[in-house]
Amino acid sequence: MAERRLGSSRDIPGRTREYETIFILKPDTSSEVIGQANAKIRGVIEAGGGRLLKVENWGRRKLAYEVKKQLKGIYIFFDYLGGAGLVEEVERNLHLTDAVIRYYTIKAAENVDAATKTSTVTDESFANASVPGPDEEAIATGQAGARPFGDEEEEGAFDFEEAVFGKVDEPIRNRG
Amino acid sequence: MDQDSGRKKTSRRRACKFCADENLVIDYKNAGLLKYFITDRGKLVPRRLTGNCAKHQRAIARAVARARMIALMPFAVTGK
Repeated sequence: MAERRLGSSRDIPGRTREYETIFILKPDTSSEVIGQANAKIRGVIEAGGGRLLKVENWGRRKLAYEVKKQLKGIYIFFDYLGGAGLVEEVERNLHLTDAVIRYYTIKAAENVDAATKTSTVTDESFANASVPGPDEEAIATGQAGARPFGDEEEEGAFDFEEAVFGKVDEPIRNRG
Repeated sequence: MDQDSGRKKTSRRRACKFCADENLVIDYKNAGLLKYFITDRGKLVPRRLTGNCAKHQRAIARAVARARMIALMPFAVTGK
């Protein structure tokens, strides 16, 4: 298991850090394998003294660029509390998982009081995260609910482009 | 106003959108929002064009960098 590492001098004793890990699985991964990968990561987090706050499956999305010869991938999002060394262990395990083509962790917050954070993860919601959400096409054609952050053209209610760039004489985007 | 006289006339400086609206959170996961701050080549749009304040421009840059790492946004858009 994760060897205990010294924390940072910025750490306040008794507080913990909040991390977000996203990993991308090959697009043809079965939900069984996704479930196994999720369970593995959950086990690592819990064994390493962390606490899982949120697990999401963003479904099969188009990648902005090719990753390991894949143009699409299944995004899994983990939000958890943990201490020094936990991320290393999580990423080591992701690295060993064949279906994972990319992983990335950010520190969302530090010196978090664990008691103030509630976990939204239940066994049921955790099981649901192994089922890839609807495909991008399904969302585009309106056959499925919106994703966490919706997708490009959906909203319409608030035209950000106009709000931000509205008054500019020439189109900014052609100046690249 | 007079400072602008040498330059091509542009509209008055806009306030930073993120300062004006607290509900607008800069998040690397929200690629739909971030794409308004990159050009069609995938480069960051400068602050003088977006009107962002320095603080929020940094936050945008950081969020875009993160989004690129997990393939939510492109590093570069080539003609390929």
